Amino acid sequence: MQYKIMLVEHDRLMLEQLSKVIETAPDMELAARFQSSGDALGQGKVFNPNIILFDTDVEGATEKLREFTGAFPHAAIICTGEKWLADKTSHYIQAGASGYLIKPFTYNSLREALMTYAQSGMQLDSKVITFFSPKGKSGKTTVISNLAIALSRMTGERVGIIDADLQFGDMAVFFNLEPQSTIVEAARDARFLSPLDLRSYFTKVTDKVSVLCGTKKPSLIDRVSISNLEAVIKMAKAAFKYVLVDVPPGFNPTSIAAAEMSDYTYVMAMLNGGYEIKHVQRSLDVFEAWDDFEDRVRVVFTRVVPCNKEAQEKISDAIDYDVDVLVPNAYMMVSKAADNGQMALDLEPEGQFAGSINSLADIIIHQNDTGRGAKW
Amino acid sequence: MPEENISGVVLTFFSTASSVGKTLISVNMASELARQGYRVCLADYDLQFGDVCNYLKLPFERSIKDIIDVMKRNPDASLKDQLTTYRYGTVSFDVVPSPEPMEDAYNVTVEDCKKLIERLRLMYDYVIVDTTSMFSVLNLAMLDLSTIVTFLGVVDFIPTIKNMKMGNDTVKTLNYDTNKIRLVLNRSDAKTRISMDDVERLLGQGFYHVLPNDFQSASESIVTGVPLALSGSDNVLAKEIRVLISRYTNRVYKENADFKQTIYQSANTEYSGKRQNGWLSKLFH
Repeated sequence: MQYKIMLVEHDRLMLEQLSKVIETAPDMELAARFQSSGDALGQGKVFNPNIILFDTDVEGATEKLREFTGAFPHAAIICTGEKWLADKTSHYIQAGASGYLIKPFTYNSLREALMTYAQSGMQLDSKVITFFSPKGKSGKTTVISNLAIALSRMTGERVGIIDADLQFGDMAVFFNLEPQSTIVEAARDARFLSPLDLRSYFTKVTDKVSVLCGTKKPSLIDRVSISNLEAVIKMAKAAFKYVLVDVPPGFNPTSIAAAEMSDYTYVMAMLNGGYEIKHVQRSLDVFEAWDDFEDRVRVVFTRVVPCNKEAQEKISDAIDYDVDVLVPNAYMMVSKAADNGQMALDLEPEGQFAGSINSLADIIIHQNDTGRGAKW
Repeated sequence: MPEENISGVVLTFFSTASSVGKTLISVNMASELARQGYRVCLADYDLQFGDVCNYLKLPFERSIKDIIDVMKRNPDASLKDQLTTYRYGTVSFDVVPSPEPMEDAYNVTVEDCKKLIERLRLMYDYVIVDTTSMFSVLNLAMLDLSTIVTFLGVVDFIPTIKNMKMGNDTVKTLNYDTNKIRLVLNRSDAKTRISMDDVERLLGQGFYHVLPNDFQSASESIVTGVPLALSGSDNVLAKEIRVLISRYTNRVYKENADFKQTIYQSANTEYSGKRQNGWLSKLFH
């Protein structure tokens, strides 16, 4: 598709600068440019643009945006601004914008924005899911990584994994990735980014699944503040349909912040012949403080042998809470897959492990969005 | 019990992965040292999800929170009365339980936890600290305070080994004496596909000790609540734990020493040196 762009930019110098980027692009055409919204609304139709870059750093941007979406129903409108703000962007998207781009932009970032937003727009109805475990060694990383693949295959949607297990995040090893950037850089830059830029901090696993990898050294955690982590999660909501957050074990500022921001929190534990059931119970007692706790908190047990309906009922009875899914003991398979950088899901697609992961994906896709989460 | 100014040994069990057997080994370490006649206190510093009382099937009475409250209210009060005592036969040791209500875990400060260990080490020959698997402020304080840190590892699959390596490298940056940090491998899952030699090469150092895989006995001892070191078990894990402890106490482990006897006949002479102290001070308590 040839992009026919109408540029609306109120700042004279910026208008020149951005025009140049578009004019020199091989696959874009600068159909028209305006310094005033009124002129653009009145005269722009003549040029029949399919993309509108609209400067939001003006008074009443949301109202003007509505007029543009009314006047140009067939064009994708991408907002531009000097800073990404979650709540404002939310208003823009509701007013009909497809995405948001930080300016000044380069050809590459503009091109990526066009490719992404012009096709599918920004995610608004995304789901954030945090995976909490009382004590670690819960099988969480295995479940999250395989679940991400399953979710993307079943829906065709983008899935982002945030490895916020800040000291000992295993996602990079699991997917056999050599990340160029990690959560440390993303958190550092969060305040200056847009969701689109944020995506470049993620490392691609497949076309649809990307991971924001954890810190490379435990000592780097100090560089990720809770408020920046929150900013990253909030922004990831705009970039992915499903955001899966892996957090450090136990109740700590990171796991609590992520859970608070999530639509759903999965409490996970691996049955190891110890007191795992009791630990899950105690964790549920803490989450009970939320008013809508029963809507937002789910439970998964891993390494359950035998892994069947009876076991699920028995465990549900023991903790007095519904268990969404049981995951079987897949140690050898998971270990083989992890060592080779493969997905356990694919080693035995018809096996019990794949079955569990797919049912979990199914539950997540089809559950009614009753969670509170952070709606913006 | 009069508090002497001689500090006991503080042994901390640390790891970078959960479920590597920290609690199991610390419970057994406490048991074995107590069996040998030392005065032992085991502190459960996994404040949120501590398992020491679960493993020993100790009823919940007073947790670390209550002990610290007493310590703050009345610095001269005897702490011994506040601790929970585990007994098996004639062997006994004291326990600092982790809190039962979760909110209490938030209400103890690192400073208080440190002070408690500093007090306890004046009262006991050995203070054993079970921790969580992360570099928290509390755990770092415990590493500082410890005489010996046992860094427990398990070879199951690559991510765990990566974390062991990261953890070991991090500990190295703290510049402790080489003898202070002891790398112990708990082969809790023999089905692993990774060789120990590879792991040692990666870590750039050998394991101080390797415990054998015996998931069965480990699970049994958790179910019964009787530490392997006390159950008279002659299984391979119990034996190796004793060997490990004898290395910690710089004593040769005698496999044929009549085990049951040491438990049921309290005044054992073989260990008389240290035992006298422990035994007498208990009498005068």
